[in-house]
Amino acid sequence: MTNDEIIRIINDSLIKEFELDGKKMVPEAILYENLELDSLDRVDMVIVLETAFKFKIREEKEIRDIRTLGDIHNFVINKIREIERIS
Amino acid sequence: MPLKKSGPMSKTSHFLRQNNFIIVLMNLTVFPLLITMTIIGILISTPAFLVFKIIGRFETLHIIRFFVWIYGRGWLAIIKPFTRFQTKGLRKGDIKPPCIIVPNHLSFFDTFFMGALPFSNVCFAIRSWPFKMAWYAPFMKLARYLDVESRSWEELFEACKRELRSGATLLFFPEAHRSRDGKLGHFYSGAFKISVATGIPIIPLCITGTGEMYPPGRWFFKPAKVHLEALPAVAPSEFPGPYGHMAMRKFVKALMVEQIEKMR
Repeated sequence: MTNDEIIRIINDSLIKEFELDGKKMVPEAILYENLELDSLDRVDMVIVLETAFKFKIREEKEIRDIRTLGDIHNFVINKIREIERIS
Repeated sequence: MPLKKSGPMSKTSHFLRQNNFIIVLMNLTVFPLLITMTIIGILISTPAFLVFKIIGRFETLHIIRFFVWIYGRGWLAIIKPFTRFQTKGLRKGDIKPPCIIVPNHLSFFDTFFMGALPFSNVCFAIRSWPFKMAWYAPFMKLARYLDVESRSWEELFEACKRELRSGATLLFFPEAHRSRDGKLGHFYSGAFKISVATGIPIIPLCITGTGEMYPPGRWFFKPAKVHLEALPAVAPSEFPGPYGHMAMRKFVKALMVEQIEKMR
């Protein structure tokens, strides 16, 4: 899976789950301010990503540092590359 | 040709003149009456509170929530001549507390219409800004309404559980913001997470017309047909598993979208 494909899946999953405006889905978008997601949405977002990519990330410490959509893209890309390396 | 046109045109302009007259009359009536009711309410609340407290021995928050409900009933009386107001599913016994009511949000005055609920022991879980209105803030604090923005989720969850255990009904606007286009916005998970965790049902409350009456960004009233309809309770047991609240949120929203479409 290419990085672009991963980013597309992330964006599509979040748009569908949280009814986000596709035009706001830029890497700089801050989750709270620009995408208007709250702390519970953040928890739900983890579930959405786990379902979309079939991995477990809820215990990962880095999730707490995620602020922007770009942070999510990078986190998921790194996670998938890590899984690919191990397997 | 001109004769054919003049008929409907004059009818239209007559209607507009009449309509404008009603709008002016509504604003010249509703605003002064609302301000008068608020001032009188503030003035008599202290002696009335003492009577309820000393003679009735009621709890402070129950007294204040009752006052707020009465204020809502007053609002319904003020607005009555200018709105065709209908309710469904809001008679005594239709809704059994404790429950979690989730209305859609179209207007600042949506909360005022909660005077149509069949009981007064309602705890509003709302955003921070209404707590900054000096004339309402003391009542909101005494009524122990929940400011969802200034608490952590854990604190809010504990406070909600306390309210539900005491028999109160919680009221969340799941969209958090007033709709600008009449469509339902993104539903936040809070109310549904609490429902799933506590086993307390959700009551979807569909509102139409308040957005035409007093939408965000407009500072005057227009007559409207306001319709409030409570849908049957949605049990959280129908949504088991760790993602239950997400499924419940989507289910309730779909129900409300469908019903609001029918009500329009």
